[in-house]
This record gives sequence, structure tokens and C-alpha cells, in this order.
Amino acid sequence: MADGHQHPIEHRFNPYAENGGTVLAIAGADFAVIAGDTRQTEGYSIQTRYAPKVFKLTDRAVLAVNGFQADCSEFVKRVMQRIEWYRHAHSKQMPLKAIARMIQTMLYGKRFFPYYTYNILGGIEEDGTGAVYSFDPVGSYEREACRAAGAASSLIQPFLDNQIYFKNQTPAPGAAPFVPGNLPIDVVLPIVIDSFTSATERHIEVGDGLEMFVVVAKGRDVSQLASLNAEEIPATNPGEERVFIVRRELKKD
Amino acid sequence: MSIMDYNGGSVLAMKGKNCVAIASDLRLGNQAMTVAMNFEKVFPVTDCLYLGLAGLASDVITLRERFRYRVNMYTIKEERQIEPATFAQLVSSTLYEKRFGPYFVEPVIAGISKKTGEPFIAATDVIGCLNFAKDFVVCGTASDKLFGVAEGLWEPDLEPEDLFETISQTLMNAVDRDAFSGWGAIVHVITPEKVITRTLKARMD
Repeated sequence: MADGHQHPIEHRFNPYAENGGTVLAIAGADFAVIAGDTRQTEGYSIQTRYAPKVFKLTDRAVLAVNGFQADCSEFVKRVMQRIEWYRHAHSKQMPLKAIARMIQTMLYGKRFFPYYTYNILGGIEEDGTGAVYSFDPVGSYEREACRAAGAASSLIQPFLDNQIYFKNQTPAPGAAPFVPGNLPIDVVLPIVIDSFTSATERHIEVGDGLEMFVVVAKGRDVSQLASLNAEEIPATNPGEERVFIVRRELKKD
Repeated sequence: MSIMDYNGGSVLAMKGKNCVAIASDLRLGNQAMTVAMNFEKVFPVTDCLYLGLAGLASDVITLRERFRYRVNMYTIKEERQIEPATFAQLVSSTLYEKRFGPYFVEPVIAGISKKTGEPFIAATDVIGCLNFAKDFVVCGTASDKLFGVAEGLWEPDLEPEDLFETISQTLMNAVDRDAFSGWGAIVHVITPEKVITRTLKARMD
């Protein structure tokens, strides 16, 4: 030994990795946008330029999951299975708030060997309002108007505080007060795209591609989505909520 | 915990159309405890050149005095005011002198050249490696947040009043997400004619 003392060398297996990427979700009055980039990294290496981390769960719920990719895919698999069991047992799709509570119990169930995942659930509530639920890795959760998570969350969240929650802004004298969570979709989607292009510019683990899922309430006009090259994901129950996906390229350097 | 985060604080500079702006928060902390809410981190060098210093507070004060001395010596010897680009080299060489025992400070420089009227911003790391950005430079404990918001809000060729709004919103929204920065803010907008200094009504928590 270099220091002249005998001591055992410990080797320990680390069951976790950190695979970069970033996700965010924003709620509107009757829609929700859930977005994530598609780059997957380990250290300074890019493992793939297309690894989706946003998943449609039901016709009214979309889950964005970020952190350790192996835990992410395992967790999404289990959530989807529980949602299918619910559909078989109750002959209806699981409501959003029920999915949120279920995710909490599933995450807390592994309190002492957690899934290393940051989850953001977005969609439409039973009353037809857009909703975003954000979770920590052990299941602490909250309903919010917007949330960013993952590698570039520290870059994006203060930007969303400003643009979605109108933090540090005052309405003009006599103007109506700002209400978070009521922005129209043609304002929200450019904010999402700007957030990801900004994060791509300054964070090495963010880039390659952007997938934005838009969940719209029953009967809502979707003409604004047509100009955005939105692709509809076929619904299990036609005539209810609808899910669209909008794809954009991000810088690959 | 890093020595760079011991006292907290953040500085930001942005370029506009024939103008520049530089801003800082006002917090001085001792780890998580806030000690003062009037600790300015931006100092005038000449009438149209400002220097921001974020990092270890004792080194902020040491370097402020050291630059005051070296700029005074330059002004006397050369019988003229120092140019922003020249001052950036002075900052760089002063920090690199201490290459193996650095000052724990990241400086930000913002000014307008008296000769050409060109706006100038620059930043360095702790050992004086210069970064001449054409948009904005950030440093301090909220630097990642500042990068994110600035990248989203900044655009080229802002007029002084719009630049003031952009830098103020960037700084306030970034420091509101940082536990080690905040507790008030100060902004200087430098134009060829005058310098507009405003203290912002920011969150105090």
C-alpha cells in the first residue's frame, strides 16, 4: 500500500445511472401539453438520439418519465399494466387523478430501493380541465399548472415561472389579473419549443428531437393543431378526449 | 460545498443596440444564513465601464480594491481612460497571476468603448480565461438558471429600455429559484450618453 497501511479495497455495485434528457408539462384550460427531448446519454456519450420518454397511458393521460432509463421503462411498463387491470375490473378508463394517486403508491412502495425516476403526468381531469401532476422519485406529488424535470430543469423551470405563472410580472393598470393555467395552445406550444431550444443550446444532455403530446378535452376545437403538423394517436373511445403528437427537430451537437 | 457558493450571489451582463446592461443580486450569505441584503457586486471602473464580481465575498472586495488600484495606475501612466477590451485583459492577467492559488471569483465586464462606441461584454473563470460573448454572460450560484432564462428572453439589438426589462426579468426569475441569490437586485444600463441605475423591487424571501 502506498501509505504503508493495510486496508481492504471496497468494490460496490451502483444499481443506478443518470441518462440525461429533460421533460416538461403545461396545463391549459381544456388541454395539456406534455413534452420531452429524445436524447439518451451516459456521461459524455450519446447512447441514442431517439429514446422516447413521453408515453400515452389512456385517451386522457400522458406520462413523461425521466432519470435512470432502465427504471423509467420498467416503471412505465408497470403503470400501463395497472391501468389495463383497472379497465378490466371497472370497464372504464382510469381517471387522471386516480392514475396520479396510483403512481404515488407505486413509487412509495419502493421507498427503500426507489425507482430513480422523475415523473410528470399530464392530461384531462374528469371535469374536463387540463391538469399536470409532478412527482419526486419516492411519490411526493402535487397538481400544478406547469413543471419541468430532468437534466435541464434548472434552466427551464425559472423560464416557465416567468412565462406560465407570470412571476415578476404585473398587469398594466386597469388590465385583468394574470391567471396561470389559462393560456391558449398557440401560446403554450411556442413556449415549450423555446424552452427546449434554449436548454439544447446550453445543456449537453438535451437535444436531437422533441416530442410534444397534446391532450385535448372532449369536443374541443383542434383546428389550431392542424397547422402544426400534429399527428393524432387513435383513441380507444372515439368521441371523448383526443391525444395528438407534435414532433420537432432539436440541434444534434 | 464549494467555496464559490459560500457567500452566494449572481451577476449577469447583456448586450443591446449601442448599449449594455449589467446586474447583480444584493444577498450576502454565510452558507444558508443571510447576513446582508445590500451587498452590491457590480462596481464602476470608468463612467461607461462596469465590473461585476460573484463568488467569495472577501475576494470580491479584495479584487475590487486591486482593480481600482491598477486602473488608477493605468489612468495616470497613460493619461486616458481604460478601454473595456483593455480592462478585460487586465482582469484576465490579474487572475492568471494567481493560477495555482486563485481568487474564488468569476468577473463579468460590461462597458461601451469611448473610441468606437461599440458595446462590450466579457466574463472570465477563476483563473482569467476570457469569454467574449456577443449576447450575454452570467456567473454566480444561479448561473444555470440565468443561462436558461436569458437564452429564452434575450434577443439581438434591444433598445436601452427593452434591455433593462430583459435583464431585470432574467435576473429576478433566475434568483427566485436559487436559495443562495436574491434578496433584492440592482441593474445598470450603460448608453454612450449616460448610465441608468435602478434597484429592483424583487422578492425578499
